[in-house]
Order: sequence, then structure tokens, then C-alpha cells
Amino acid sequence: MLNLKPEIAMPGQSTIDINALEQDQVALEIKNLNLHYGDKKALNNISMKIPKGQVTAFIGPSGCGKSTLLRCINRMNDLIDVCHIDGEINLHGENIYGKHVDVAQLRRKVGMVFQRPNPFPKSIYENVVYGLRLIGEKNRRVLDEACEKSLRAAALWDEVKDRIHESALGLSGGQQQRLVIARAIAIEPEVLLLDEPTSALDPISTLVIEELITELKKKYTVVIVTHNMQQAARVSDQTAFMYMGDLIEYTDTNTLFTTPLKKKTEDYITGRYG
Amino acid sequence: METFDTGRHISGQFNAELDAILNHVMQMGGLVEQQLKDALTAVTDNNEELAQKVLNSDYKINRLEVAIDEECTRIIAKRQPAAGDLRLVMAIVKTIADLERIADEAEKISKVALEQFSTKQQDFLLNMDNLGQLVLTTLQNTLDAFTRMDFDAAFKVHQQDSRIDREYEALMRQLMTYMMEDPRSIPKVMSVIWSARALERIGDRCQNICEYVIYFVKGKDVRHISDDDVAQVLLNKE
Amino acid sequence: MDKSNNTWFKSGAPWVWMSAAGVTISLISVVGLLWLIASRGLTYFWPAPIHQFDIKDELGKEYTVIGEIYDVEQIPASQLAHTAIDLTGKESVERLLVKTGNRELVSLDFRWLVEPLIVAQSEPENVAVIERRTNGNFYGFIEELYIEGKKVDVAQLPEFVERVDNLQEQISELQKSDIMSINYELERIRLNRRKDELNKELTKARNAQYDSDVAALKADYNELESELNALRAQVQRDHIVVRAMGGERVNINLEQVIEISFHNKMGVIAKFGHFLKQIGKFIGDDPREANTEGGVFPAIFGTVLMVLLMTVIVSPLGVVAAIYLHEYAGKNALTKLLRIAVINLAGVPSIVYGVFGLGFFVYMVGGSLDQIFYPESLPSPTFGSPGVMWSAITLAILTLPVVIVSTEEGLARIPSSMRHGSLALGATKAETLWRIILPLASPAIMTGIILAIARAAGEVAPLMLVGVVKMAPTLPLDGNFPFLHLERKFMHLGFHIYDVGFQSPNVEAARPLVYATALLLVTIIVALNMTAVSIRNRLREKYRALEH
Repeated sequence: MLNLKPEIAMPGQSTIDINALEQDQVALEIKNLNLHYGDKKALNNISMKIPKGQVTAFIGPSGCGKSTLLRCINRMNDLIDVCHIDGEINLHGENIYGKHVDVAQLRRKVGMVFQRPNPFPKSIYENVVYGLRLIGEKNRRVLDEACEKSLRAAALWDEVKDRIHESALGLSGGQQQRLVIARAIAIEPEVLLLDEPTSALDPISTLVIEELITELKKKYTVVIVTHNMQQAARVSDQTAFMYMGDLIEYTDTNTLFTTPLKKKTEDYITGRYG
Repeated sequence: METFDTGRHISGQFNAELDAILNHVMQMGGLVEQQLKDALTAVTDNNEELAQKVLNSDYKINRLEVAIDEECTRIIAKRQPAAGDLRLVMAIVKTIADLERIADEAEKISKVALEQFSTKQQDFLLNMDNLGQLVLTTLQNTLDAFTRMDFDAAFKVHQQDSRIDREYEALMRQLMTYMMEDPRSIPKVMSVIWSARALERIGDRCQNICEYVIYFVKGKDVRHISDDDVAQVLLNKE
Repeated sequence: MDKSNNTWFKSGAPWVWMSAAGVTISLISVVGLLWLIASRGLTYFWPAPIHQFDIKDELGKEYTVIGEIYDVEQIPASQLAHTAIDLTGKESVERLLVKTGNRELVSLDFRWLVEPLIVAQSEPENVAVIERRTNGNFYGFIEELYIEGKKVDVAQLPEFVERVDNLQEQISELQKSDIMSINYELERIRLNRRKDELNKELTKARNAQYDSDVAALKADYNELESELNALRAQVQRDHIVVRAMGGERVNINLEQVIEISFHNKMGVIAKFGHFLKQIGKFIGDDPREANTEGGVFPAIFGTVLMVLLMTVIVSPLGVVAAIYLHEYAGKNALTKLLRIAVINLAGVPSIVYGVFGLGFFVYMVGGSLDQIFYPESLPSPTFGSPGVMWSAITLAILTLPVVIVSTEEGLARIPSSMRHGSLALGATKAETLWRIILPLASPAIMTGIILAIARAAGEVAPLMLVGVVKMAPTLPLDGNFPFLHLERKFMHLGFHIYDVGFQSPNVEAARPLVYATALLLVTIIVALNMTAVSIRNRLREKYRALEH
């Protein structure tokens, strides 16, 4: 066989072949996932493997189900009454939709950051340690250390270290979003879900967050939903294109953005009428 | 002639820009083709005037190359093309570089026409004309494949490059014989050899352009692979 | 012209004017209301000049009238045609209403004087206003002062008035706390004995214990009583002789005197001091003379206590109900129906709640409580009769819809991103509610409580059925264990207004008191509201950035 892969490696790019993942390289495995909102089918038989320690992006037009799929991973869809799910999502080979799964426990392992920054109306410090307080951590020193560590990891420490006991609502949008990321990683999840994390931010804040995402993948498996294709192209290692509830194409980002296999993908990423 | 459709972008402006660039490339291709044709005619007819015209027209092609290059840079900056669009822009950027080189080769060939050949030496030129016509046809086919972004046509042209190589080698042998027979003719033969060499280069560049077309259409890079492998790669792809 | 009119109309200016007019009218009515109440109410405390009128009536009889001018009105001359007053050339006549006091001399506090009969009018400097514990004010000239039967200089009077004041305070202290707590203890012993009797546990030893306790208390009581009698004798020691307007010399025992003031001698500053002192007494003292005089302290206390109790009951109840309706109840027709029912509850007339409170809480719940916990005091009810707790509960039910509705609205306004943010960090729904949602909803909850307080503090009708009385002998809060006596009846400013204004024997005299009490009620409600509003604003400020 011919090896058509580039022989020079670009910095920060993975060379994992997602079609031939070893079991220990898989962070999440989605198997035949179907989701209905009432009578409407929102996800249609999705199967994919999300590799560990990499950034996987979901792209697709509005209403294609990418956010829905993301929310399935930490069971946020449970909050919607009419939502019905069948299929499996395996985290460590264990189905998160299994009978005896503690949802709160799951969400500690699979953190999530939302579209709009949603800091709690508390101090920066209290925001970061919120998750730790939930699991009953009371030791002041542990909390302080976790707070600093998370804020550093979220590239926010230097900006806020003098005012961590002031209200988080006084931060700018970009800072708030990084704070929310710090809050999510304070409880050391394994997977971090980002639901359009920069759609409410200005371009510079967006770049800061993107830079942060590439840093985060050293420690966490990141799954990101974005409307911004360039963003997906910039930050992700793998990209999944979804359309009308179907997973159309899932491959490494370099391939998807230069030579997509499917016409629908091509039309979408080049901005043509599908 | 049926042209390639950049089509159906949601941004009509993007469509228009890509169309304009393709038009310019075709215009450039037309000019290059004309240059080559004129250069060959000038050589066979020993038409000094026509040769001069070829030399004087090269600047148009150079200018077009620069203009198209700029356009492509601008599109990359502003539109951030992806997938097919990206490959198209990349193909265009490379194609115009090759076209410009072809025009340069044509210029070299036309310089031969400015030299004085004896009647006997005219034979070399006639022999070269065969090769010239073959290369010209190849160029026309290439431009045609590019215009239509026709994978099959491009693949065919790509395969035919060996014919040019064979023709070129036959011509070389012939010219070697001339030189051995009549050492006085060596300077003249040398200039013909340079022209033949230029024609051979043009053939290679046409092959390059076809490779770009294939890359654009199939998303597969077929440079520096043997023909058999190219076929295999393309078939696997289907 | 027509065109310009049309463009003016289209410009929307008329609407601006109309809405401005609406605001103006509302503003004027509010300001007017406050001004009326304040001016009528506050003048009651301002020391009015005391006039002396020399009258020569139509029969030629001459006499003197001393008093405050209470009211002046114009009456048509024809009304006086039947009298022998010479009214030639006059269409109307001024008539003065004068408060003369001196109830022991004349049966009426007030007297109408017709202007033409007044020969002379003056403001004698040394006329005294003697405020008394019974029989109202006395207007007259102080002539003599007798201390222990000996006549002394009148100038020493203030000193002795103060002495009496101190003694009276001691007496009431004795009566109200010491003697009352002995009575309370005696009653408790009686009830305990009865309880043991009912439970068949009344052993001889116990009975003897009770007897000895009672004996001890009785001894204490006797001691206190003799002390009290001694004090009473002390307080009655001195008296003054006052010359009234008719020239009669009246003995007034200093025991009766609260304060002697000379309005006509006072400068503005002295008057202002007197004014403040009167207000202080009004707020701090117990009512006298069937509520028509004295202060309204028990009513203030009752109102505030009842409203606070109501708040304590309604807030958790309303918040919990709203949380259930909004967070946990399924989004179905039943919930909708429930919500509509709650909203409609707010529209039920308050007297209906009073009837409900009386029938359900007082008789059914209270009656059962008595049977279970207080059988010893039956047949006299403990919780089975109206009381401050039932009032607070009834008003809590009355204001519950307000709290529920505004809390629910507050919950609905919280962006779902907050909820999701917390849930995504591994919080359970209850943790999210407690740590995030409730703090965020607190301004809305406070709004609900403010509305509830405003409504509850102004309600009178249902309270008349479930706990308010004209005159409560004791406050619901005192020094006897368990300090807060929820079963007791209480006084309420709103009811006080009604009682003084419409039920008192001397409506005319009580009118300024009605205004003053109304002003006080408004002030208290405003104060309660302002407190709540400031708490709410502080909370709102804390969470302000969210409301974009």
C-alpha cells in the first residue's frame, strides 16, 4: 500500500487513525445511538469512537443534532421530558445509560461548558470550587490549591489572582468563559464537552479560548460543538459532520477540510447549497 | 466549450470571484497556447517578425500570472476556502506558475527562429516541428481538461506524456547524427536541441497541470508516482 | 389647521400628555392622602393656643369660656333666626367649636360659640392645660398647691408632678409585671392541679406541694399588695386647686395629673419640644379612656408582631409551594389548574378568610388542640378562641398566593444556563435549587413578601374574627415563660382606627386621633416595606449583572 500521509509532522497535530483505534485510545464509544424528541427523530443511529486526549469537533448546520449528541454524553438531555434515547454510550466500557448509573457522578467525569458564559453569581473563588464543595470538600487549603490550579489551567490566574473573592459577574465575557472552563476542570473530569464555547465572544477572546483548548487536550479529552468551521479546523484533531440527525462523515480534521469524501460534507464546508 | 461550474455557493460573490479567476486562467491558457503556436510557426516558416511578436507578448502572460496570484491570495485571506474550493485555488496557483513557465519556453523556442539556417539545416527544424505539434496538442488537451476540470481527459493527457518523451529521444538521436556527420553544424543543432528540450519541458508542465486537475477533482496527489500506481490509486478511490 | 392637528396627533404627543396626566393624577392623590392624614394627625400633637372667650348671650347673661379652638365654620344667618341674637345685615355667621375639657363640671367636652356673642377674646398666659389620667383635659388657672395638706408655693409644682409620675410608674410596674406574674403563676398551679386531677395523678404529696406553692405566692401577693397600697397612698398625697372658666375652684389630686403645660407661654421651640413629647407618648403609652386618649403602643406592638409572625409563616410556605409547582410538579393540566386556583385565591374577599379562620383554625384546630393539650383549662379555651397565632395564620393563608405567584415568576426568570451549569458540575436538582436557584430567586421572593406584608398589615376585616380586640389586657409578649403567648388576643392599629373613629363615645374628640393613628399605620407599613425593599434591592444589586 502507498502511504499518502504527509511525512512531515505539523506541531500539535495528531496522527491517530480513528478507524483503527486501540481500545485504550478510546475515551468514548457511541453505539447505535437514536434519540427522539417526542415523535421527532433527532439522532439517527449514530456510532463513533472518540479518541482519548484529542479534540473532537462536531460540525453541521443548525438543528443537525450536534448539540443534542453532545448533551447525550453527559446526559443533559435527561432534563427534557419528551426526550427518548436508545443505544449506548460507553465510558470506560460502561454504558452511561445503564440502569445503575449515578447521573451526578457521570457529570463529574464528563464536564460541560455552555454557549453563553454562565458563571454563578458568586465570587470567582466560589465559582471555581463549586464542584468541589458539592462533593463535600471543606478543607480550605485543598480548595485554595484547586482554585489556583484550575484558574492557571484555564489561563485566567494572572488576570484575576488579585480579585478572586470578587464577584465573577464583573469579568469580561471571555474571562467568564475561561472561568466556566476552570470551574469545569476543577473537579478533574475525564471528558470536557464544549457547546459552542466561543459563539458569544469577540474574536480575540475566541482565539484565547481556542489556544486554551489545545492546551486542555494534553490532559482531557475534549469534545467541541461549533458553528464556526474555521474554528473546528483550527482546534480539532477529529471532525464529525452531522446533517439532519445523521453522522455523515467522521474523520481526521485535515482530511475533512481538504478532501471530504461525502458530497454533503463538501457542500457544507465550502458553503454551497446542499 | 463547456466550462467547469464553480457553482451553488451560498455567497454569490464567492462564485463570481472564482469564476473570474477561472476565466483569467483560461485567458492566460489561450495566450500561452497562442505563444507556443506562433513560436512553432515562426520556427518552421523562419518568420522573424512572428518570432519578434512572441518575444514581445510574453509580458502579458507575466502580468496575468501576477494578477491571478494576487486574486488567489485575496480569496484565501477573505474566504478561507475549504475542501474543493481550497483545492481549486491551490490548483490554480500552481497551474498559472506552470503556464508562465510554458510561455517562457515558448519564448526560448521563438528565439531559434531569429537564427539563420541553411537549407540543409532546415530539416532539423522540420523534424522538430513534429514534436512541436505533438506538444501543442498536448497543451491544448491539457487546457481543455483544465477548463472542464475533466478528470478523464486529464488522466489521458497525463498518460500520453511518454509519447512526447519518445518523440523527443528520437529527435535527439537524429540531431546527434547530424552533429557527428557535420561538426560545423553543431552550434545550430545545439540551438535546435535547446528548443526540443523546451518542448519536452512543456510536455512535463502539461503533465503537472493535469496532476493538479486530478488533485482538484479526486483530492489525491499523484505527483511523482508511476503511471500504474496513479491508476491504482485512482481506482481504489472509487 | 386640520392637517397640523393631524400631524400633532400622529406624532404621539397626545399619548405622552395623557400618560403624563395619569401619572400626575396618581401622584396628586397619593401626596394629597398623605398630606391630609399628616396634617390632621400631627396637629393633634401641636400645643394649640388656649383662648379665653367672654360671652354675653342673647339673654344678657355673661360668662367666660376657656378652651382650644377646634373647628371654625360659617353657618347661614337664617339658621339662627329663632334665637334672639341680633343678626341684622348678616348673611352668615361664624361659629366656633371650642374644646373646653373639664368633664366633671360640664358634661360636654365641646361647646359651640356663635361669633356675635363673643364680647372679648384673649389668650391668657397663665392658663394651664392639665392632662389627666381620667376625665380628659382640664383648662384653668392653678391657684394653690397643697403638699401633705400644707399649702406651698405653686412654683414647686413641676417637681411634684414628676414625683407623681415616678410613683405612678412604680405602681404600674408592680401591677403589670410582679403582680401579674404572680397571678400567672397561680393560674398555672391551678391548671397543673386540674391536669393532675384529670390524669388521676393528683397525689397527696403533690397536692400539698401545690398548696404550699399557692400559699407562698399568696404571701408574696399580699406583700406586693401592701406595697402597692402604700404607693397609692403616697401618690394621692398632694393636690392642687384650680380655678376653672366659670370661676369654680376645683380640687385636683396630683395622682390624676400626667402633665401640666402652659401653651400660651410657650415659644416655638418649647412648643416643638412639647409636640415631640406628645408624639412620643402617643407611640409609647397605653390607651386610656376607652382608647380615646393616651397612646397606641399595644396596637403598634400587636400589628408589628402579627405581621412578623405572618411573614415567618407565609415565607417558607409560599416559597416551598412555588418551588414544588415550578420545579417538581409535572407540566400537565392538573398543575395548571392548581396554579389558576392559587392565583384566584388572591381574589377571595378577605372577610371570607376571616370566616374560614374562625371556623377552621379557631374552632376546629384550636378546639382540638385545647382538648388534646390543654384539657385542664377547659371549658375556658386556650387556643380555641381567637388569638394572635390564628390571626397570623389566617393572614398567611390570605397572602400565600402573592408569595407563590411572585416566587414562581422569579424562578421562571432565572436563566436555564444557571441550572444547567450547576447540574453539569455534578449537582443534584436539590443541590442546584439550594445553592444556585434560591439565592437567585431571592429578590423575587422578597418582592412577594413585601406584597404580602403590605396586604397583611392593612387587613382589618378578617382579624376582627380571629384575634383582634378593642382592648387587650396584656401584650402577647411578656416576661412570663414562654414569653411569646400565641394564644392571646391582641390590638391592631387598623382596628384601633375603626374602634376610635366609629365606636367611641366621643367621636368628635377622637377624630384627630383617628388621623394620627392612620398616619402611624401608614408609617409602620411603609417602614416594614422599606426594610423589605432595601433587603431586596441589596439582593438585586448582588445578582444584577444576570438580568441582561
